[in-house]
Amino acid sequence: MLLITEFIVLLTSNLILTQALGTSTLFIAAGSKKNLIGTAFTITLFTTVGSAAAYFISNVLTNNAKDFTLLFYALAVGILYVLFLTVLYFVSRKTFRNARKYIHLSAFNCAVIGTLFTVTQKAQENPQFNNIGSFIIAGAEAGFGFILASFILTAAYRRLSSSDVPAAFRGFPAMLIYLGIISMAVYSLT
Amino acid sequence: MSKKNSVFDGLLGDNTVLSSLMVISPVIMCGDTLRNAIAVIYAFSAITFLSVLAGSFVPKKLPYAVRIIIYTLISSLVYIPVKFAARQFFPEVIDRIGIYFMLLAVNSLIMVQTEAKFYRMKRGRMIFSLIFYILGFDAVMLITSFLRELIAHGTIYDRVADADMLISGFGMPFGGFIFLGLFCGLYRKIRSVLRRENSGGDSDASDN
Repeated sequence: MLLITEFIVLLTSNLILTQALGTSTLFIAAGSKKNLIGTAFTITLFTTVGSAAAYFISNVLTNNAKDFTLLFYALAVGILYVLFLTVLYFVSRKTFRNARKYIHLSAFNCAVIGTLFTVTQKAQENPQFNNIGSFIIAGAEAGFGFILASFILTAAYRRLSSSDVPAAFRGFPAMLIYLGIISMAVYSLT
Repeated sequence: MSKKNSVFDGLLGDNTVLSSLMVISPVIMCGDTLRNAIAVIYAFSAITFLSVLAGSFVPKKLPYAVRIIIYTLISSLVYIPVKFAARQFFPEVIDRIGIYFMLLAVNSLIMVQTEAKFYRMKRGRMIFSLIFYILGFDAVMLITSFLRELIAHGTIYDRVADADMLISGFGMPFGGFIFLGLFCGLYRKIRSVLRRENSGGDSDASDN
């Protein structure tokens, strides 16, 4: 029962299905199952570690400097991106060469930056949430939500791209309608 | 397709939203009323044009990872005056758009298409092409918001229209996904028919 409740919470707080954040990234990576899952896991890493950085940035910036939040969040994600690439380079050169395009895609997108802003907004609305642990947990949850959405899309990807679907709707348009129906189901749970 | 024609591709042939499914979250989330759409169009056009143009001066000798970070920082900087001006022009819409306003600064046209497409062109050609890609997004945003506002709320730019049947779901995010999916399918069908006609009826019907 606890697992079902957690699953429903993960669905209803899913940034793709409820706020369409990172949808473009999901579709760009949807070309291959391996890339899609890899991108989703990398995004989770960025949302989790990025949320920790967002905690410090949002608490340091004064109200007068709020317009610079995006700049600092982008800088934080940029630093994480370089660190991640450096670590991967020394761990495996082959993986580094194959994965760097998707790491770039995973780092700079609406899912990651949107998560940082959503988590910050949540902390502003509820001061109890304004601690590093809550930021990291919320960032990880957003990432897992992205992984979940990736699995949902992967499950139907082949059928939605098959010749059974009319040519004009094959692929992306069918996937959008499919995500819309899933999103409608999630909406009914909230 | 001829080289000359491809400058206009962003408007119809290779539309940012309908063809590549880029920058779709603002269309889904903010494209439910014309009032929101106009503010998003202003912000998207200003941020994308200025950021891509400024980014084109970044030396190509720099490593890819560094260039990408610089592009992001440029667009985050461009966002600041654009937001400031938006507060003057669209004070009541800014709050409604919320985080989507900031997310326009990390849109796929800046993050993905710059290196893949725009910076491979000469600057003059790039500017023309960029303008048409931006106009392509603007057109989709306008059409989507006009139809969704009419169907979901029965209004056009907040004025009551004579709509017989309302489907409020089209104003919700799931309605945005479904509407965009249908719009995308219709666009592909029309594009496919036009291409077949242009090539004398011998091109492949499937253009996915």
